[in-house]
Amino acid sequence: MSPSPPVPPLDLPLERHTLDNGLRVVLHPDARLPLVAVNLWYHVGSKDEAPGRTGFAHLFEHMLFQGSQNVGTNDHFRYVQQAGGVANGSTWYDRTNYYETLPSRFLELGLWLESDRMGFLLPAMTAEKLEKQREVVLNERRQRMDNQPYGRAIERLHELLYPVDHPYHWPVIGYVDDIARATLDDVERFFRTHYTPRNAVLTLAGDFEPARALALLDRWFGEIPAGPEPPAPPQPPPLATDGERRETLPDDVHLPRVYMAYPMPAYGRPGWHAADLLGTVLAAGKASLLYEDLIYRRQIAQDVSSFVYPTELDAALVLIATARPGVDPREVEEAITAHLERAVEEELPEARLARARARVLNDFYVATQKLDSRADLISHFTTLFDDPSLLADEPARYAELDATDLREIAAERCRRELRAVVTVVPRDGAEDGDGPGERNGA
Amino acid sequence: MTVSSAPPRRDRPPPPGPVEPFRFPSYERVRLANGLTVVAARSRRAPLVALALAFPAGAAYDPPDGGGTAAMTAALLDEGTDEASALEIADRVADLGGGLATGASRDVAYLELEILRHQAADALELVAELATRPTFPAEELERQRRRHLAELLRRRTDPGRLADEHLTRAIYGDGPYGRPILGDEPTLAALGRDDVERFHRRGYGLAGAFLVAAGDLEPSDFFAAAERVLGGLPGGEAPALPDLAPERPAGVRVVVVDRPHAAQTELRLGHAGVPRNHPDFLTLAAVNGILGGKFTSRINLNLRERHGYTYGASSRFAGRLGPGPFVVRTAVATPVAGAAVREIVGELERIRDEEVDREELDDAKSYLVGTFPYTLQTVSGVADRLETIVVHDLPADYYETFPRAVAALDRARLLAAARRHLRPGELSIVAVGPAADLEPQLRELGDLQVETPAARTPTPEPVPATPLGPQA
Repeated sequence: MSPSPPVPPLDLPLERHTLDNGLRVVLHPDARLPLVAVNLWYHVGSKDEAPGRTGFAHLFEHMLFQGSQNVGTNDHFRYVQQAGGVANGSTWYDRTNYYETLPSRFLELGLWLESDRMGFLLPAMTAEKLEKQREVVLNERRQRMDNQPYGRAIERLHELLYPVDHPYHWPVIGYVDDIARATLDDVERFFRTHYTPRNAVLTLAGDFEPARALALLDRWFGEIPAGPEPPAPPQPPPLATDGERRETLPDDVHLPRVYMAYPMPAYGRPGWHAADLLGTVLAAGKASLLYEDLIYRRQIAQDVSSFVYPTELDAALVLIATARPGVDPREVEEAITAHLERAVEEELPEARLARARARVLNDFYVATQKLDSRADLISHFTTLFDDPSLLADEPARYAELDATDLREIAAERCRRELRAVVTVVPRDGAEDGDGPGERNGA
Repeated sequence: MTVSSAPPRRDRPPPPGPVEPFRFPSYERVRLANGLTVVAARSRRAPLVALALAFPAGAAYDPPDGGGTAAMTAALLDEGTDEASALEIADRVADLGGGLATGASRDVAYLELEILRHQAADALELVAELATRPTFPAEELERQRRRHLAELLRRRTDPGRLADEHLTRAIYGDGPYGRPILGDEPTLAALGRDDVERFHRRGYGLAGAFLVAAGDLEPSDFFAAAERVLGGLPGGEAPALPDLAPERPAGVRVVVVDRPHAAQTELRLGHAGVPRNHPDFLTLAAVNGILGGKFTSRINLNLRERHGYTYGASSRFAGRLGPGPFVVRTAVATPVAGAAVREIVGELERIRDEEVDREELDDAKSYLVGTFPYTLQTVSGVADRLETIVVHDLPADYYETFPRAVAALDRARLLAAARRHLRPGELSIVAVGPAADLEPQLRELGDLQVETPAARTPTPEPVPATPLGPQA
């Protein structure tokens, strides 16, 4: 192991409280800029949907910007931007988040806006608004996926890696037919079931006085009824272990691209960080194994990248490589597979691990500079583990890993019979109409 | 301050607290004897330093028949120096956290990174070596040439890229802001090692360069380090800025780029704007805030919330040395592409025809001033602002006085700036999608031509059987 570099630990003062209605709040004071980040996680995402009703958590997120009892349609953004703040929301497999970063003197504005839609949403919901947002979401799906080269590869990869009744089988944005099916009754039912104080975590990060902030939180959120017990988390079926699943997807592209997914332990479980570091050694930057071999020496690939989903259920290591013109994508896939097999046969050199750790450490400090990123990570650790202080320990999780840990996770998980592979290839005669791999949702 | 125990009044937004002062971080600026401009600001919010070294060597400086030279030169900086091979450089970059980025924008070539503070001195040494002592090995040029050729192929199937590139071409023609940054197949094929060396000699002299640092550092220490590492090198002569203004168009031009199977249509509308240091630039930022710079802007609310045409629509004035583009961007359902274009043009005309509402102006101003600290949370955010000041030769107190300058804007000034600098009659309009559906919708807007991206696609070149690398 290399000596740990002289980097101070992340400065992360924290206070954690639970309001009487069950809302968990975390306060992270940092007065160095006159800003405050308000970050609210609801523990509901696409994992809580059912086959045939996909995309609802995300469509619902759009509806939360359509006003509430005391906030007019689109006035959420108007109030925040008038104040000189920024706001957005996002939906993911495990959760939905809403956030504003405001000049700190507008802290109470943020609390008013978020508490109004947590406590008083339904009077503002109309069928007309739902129709408009359905159109916006269908355009979002076209823009992000259907009209993007390679845009459906990740969706297909999930469908292959996760069984049909697994909560990560379908895409967060949902299938077109399912989005068309959502009704105003669904909006009400979803709100009453999932958007309760006890199913949420609210983080404040920035320039405020903690005792006063806590009193304000209690004032704005305390009167919202606790609501029913959140539904039990979905129980995922086991992933297939009986053989590789693969598909070729013709698309309007010139360069083939390979997507490979290996199942990994959930975020926070033993092995997740090893998988992440393995992905970094393999594919992050010009000193990575795959860059050196596939792009630099053999020149069979145009780019490589990797990531591990930080999900609370079954995660996955995803490796992506674009083939050079004229190169068979199978050659690229086999080259990547060979590197994974070598990582099982012999331990990776310490120099490679040290460089990967240096990158992870640098990325961590770069990413945690912004109050909104820090607040979001705090909400993440609180939602998943009920412990926001785990954020500061992240660099140590990587520092303590050695070559044996990486070899073990590779041996256990990076096996052909466990993986899913999607290869996007140029459609033959791009003018001929839809190819055999064309899919429009489920 | 105490918090009332009474239930809150929810029927109106709670009032804000008192205004808290905010000041742009103070910074210092020196010029070394060889002409290198060095600026540094202390910002201790994280144990990080942002470093950037920029040269007047962006794509605008490409030789007229040498598109892609600037991009190639910048891409080769970390592929070989008089001390290290490409793979050795990659290892050194990785030892420093791996965050180095090199490249060429339209105006500048840059090397930049965010780095843990204890590695800042090593990072400065490395960046200086890469920028001033590259050797441009012939085999690395071949590698990057193949990579850039493949990248051209990849981009040709990316509808957003296609739209951007065709708009750029429509506005700037063959001028310095019009040629593709990466070059095209003929110019890349013709690009030789001597071309790259010549370009480097001309554009990477320190006399015209800018070294910027922000973060957990002492400016005086940084200036001493800069003097030690770069002060002894010759300055050379800064290249003259080429003439960047395009010809003024005679009317509206429409380009349809045919993608018969596209699920959606990418739209761009634009024309040349003003240079970053034009006195109207800040006023135009306020105009654009109302028009298309934020979620609640007119164009987005019109297209997304009123009509449901799109997931989002935005506009911006690019801040460049020359007249950078004013561009409206969106992606819409193909059957409503013509209607969406008409709505956008209508918004451009409206903001030229009548003064904006008082409330819109107040919102735009508070947004510009209020989000300013938000953009300074990161060391690279601070460094970017410093770089803007020195590269565009803005007044030294530009950001110090920025809130006051915004406060002074009024409706008459916005209207005058909109009338001067928004020209709906000179728009280039680009639509990437199924031409058969788009042509009838767009034909009446102006002079229309249809292009096929595939027509420019060459046969993929075969990859050599033997890799060129030092060890296969």
